[in-house]
Amino acid sequence: MNTRHTTIQHRYRRNRLTSTMFHILTYVLLTLFALCIVYPIYFAVISSLKTTAAYSADKVGLPTNPTLGNFTNVLMRMNMLTFLFNTLFLVGVSMVLYFLVCTAAGFAFGKLRFKGRLGIFTFVLFIQIFPQMVIAGQVYQLINKLHLLNTYAGLILIWVAYFAPFGTYIMTTYYSTVPKSLVEAARIDGAGVFQQLTRIMIPIAKPMIGTLGIIGALAMWHELPFSMLVLQRQNLRTLTLGIALMQGEFGLPTPVLTAAILVTSGVPLILYIIFQNYITMGSTAGSVKG
Amino acid sequence: MNLLKRSKKFRLTQEARDAWILLTPLLLLTVGFLVYPVFSNFYYSLTRWKGLGDPVFIGLENYTRMFQDERFYSSLKNMGILVLYIPLGVGLPLLIANTLRNGLKGWKMYRAMLYLPNILGPVILGTIFSVMLSQVGPITEILRRIGFEKANEFYLLGKSVSAIHTLSFIFVVLMRVGFGCIYFLAAMSTIDQNLYDAARIDGTNKFQDFIHVTIPGIKFSIQFFSVLAFIEVFARMYGIIFTLTGGGPGYATNTLEFAVYKLSFSSYQKGYASAWAVVLFFFCAIIALIQIRLIMKEEMS
Repeated sequence: MNTRHTTIQHRYRRNRLTSTMFHILTYVLLTLFALCIVYPIYFAVISSLKTTAAYSADKVGLPTNPTLGNFTNVLMRMNMLTFLFNTLFLVGVSMVLYFLVCTAAGFAFGKLRFKGRLGIFTFVLFIQIFPQMVIAGQVYQLINKLHLLNTYAGLILIWVAYFAPFGTYIMTTYYSTVPKSLVEAARIDGAGVFQQLTRIMIPIAKPMIGTLGIIGALAMWHELPFSMLVLQRQNLRTLTLGIALMQGEFGLPTPVLTAAILVTSGVPLILYIIFQNYITMGSTAGSVKG
Repeated sequence: MNLLKRSKKFRLTQEARDAWILLTPLLLLTVGFLVYPVFSNFYYSLTRWKGLGDPVFIGLENYTRMFQDERFYSSLKNMGILVLYIPLGVGLPLLIANTLRNGLKGWKMYRAMLYLPNILGPVILGTIFSVMLSQVGPITEILRRIGFEKANEFYLLGKSVSAIHTLSFIFVVLMRVGFGCIYFLAAMSTIDQNLYDAARIDGTNKFQDFIHVTIPGIKFSIQFFSVLAFIEVFARMYGIIFTLTGGGPGYATNTLEFAVYKLSFSSYQKGYASAWAVVLFFFCAIIALIQIRLIMKEEMS
């Protein structure tokens, strides 16, 4: 009895010890990772406030005479203000179409029965992972043939086509959890498919607008190869395309480049700071069940 | 009776008709911009073509050339190295999430920071890390200040071996660790707490809990997350390679995906690039099939 008691106590103590060790290890790991991510951003902020000369003199210290010159330079002379408006317009219009396409298709897969449903759904899952580079060359030819080169319409179509399969998958998993009775009611009313879309599908989809919006808009904001192929005129560029090509074109000094980095990620960062909880929790949609 | 039967049949076809109408935009877009390009890519892989004028049919010549091309094998090797980092990219967030399961002070703050790579995106991360790790960048400067005189020889992106490992670590581990923790935490929260209580009565320790309760409980999520990592490596690396290393030094960080871009849009060998794209397509098709099987199996249960 007594020995048994001590072994349990012993085991308990050992458990506590390993668990504390794991806690410390976790803190160390988390801190290291956080440092690897946050330090570059901190570095971008302090460098963007230095003049090129001040940066050469001291690369890692705080700016002594902070200046916004790099930002005005990047926004005006290097056209990033235009890129910002281009991006906002492109992402905005694409998102409306993306939302409609994903909602409609997700509803059909999640709530309607029809022959070939499983087959087409599998097809959607299949094309969802295609790398952009497998299709980029031919997409370029296609866009060229359709006379959509250097037009926003061309890029919007490709973006929606490329990102909608994953969005459709998310909407399908969402709609399949919605009770069928909600849909049946409208069916018996004899509402046409477009009435159903505006009266039922979209209102039901409201809780998903945020999730779908985050996934879609971030993907488009970060997109590079398609924008590079379609938008070949400098003044049409998106922010991401702008910054990707900037380095090669100008061989930029670090303070200017870091200002461009902050301009490019400004809008997503501000939205992230405001909706942080919502964004991090919504990010697992479509991949965690339950 | 007859009328009822007919109306039921009508309702079914009506439902199917609605479904097809709703699917039309998605199908038109994807067939036009994804499926057709894939098929025409198969055709162009059999031709010599610079992107202008008419392609010349040359049979399998591009493929024989590709299988003799050293760059092809080095890009496969590079992808192999990237894949080797996946166990780390999956295992670390899994272990961290397991410790977090019972709560950890300050987790929300860590979460906010670790999720940032997903907000910034691959192009910005590639750009920012290329500045950080540059030979004349801040890391070199800091190393020099703490006493490493030869810090500028410590140029991670400048040497073949360290460049691919740096890229792998940033892309497979650093960029995904935050999302991984959040993902696994969400998955773990669906495990029935009773299972842990039952295990506790059996006198298991935390490690045994992890092996026998947690891992089986979120098996699907672990598999799914691993498949996502493969997708990222095979199909989503263009942006970061373009901005971080440009595929270099030499071909040290070239992947199939990046090679297709280089061949197609830098050296205008579009026919030859298409052959590489076909290989990439088959790799991705295998990954896609694995993912579909996973999803279908999960849906069935």
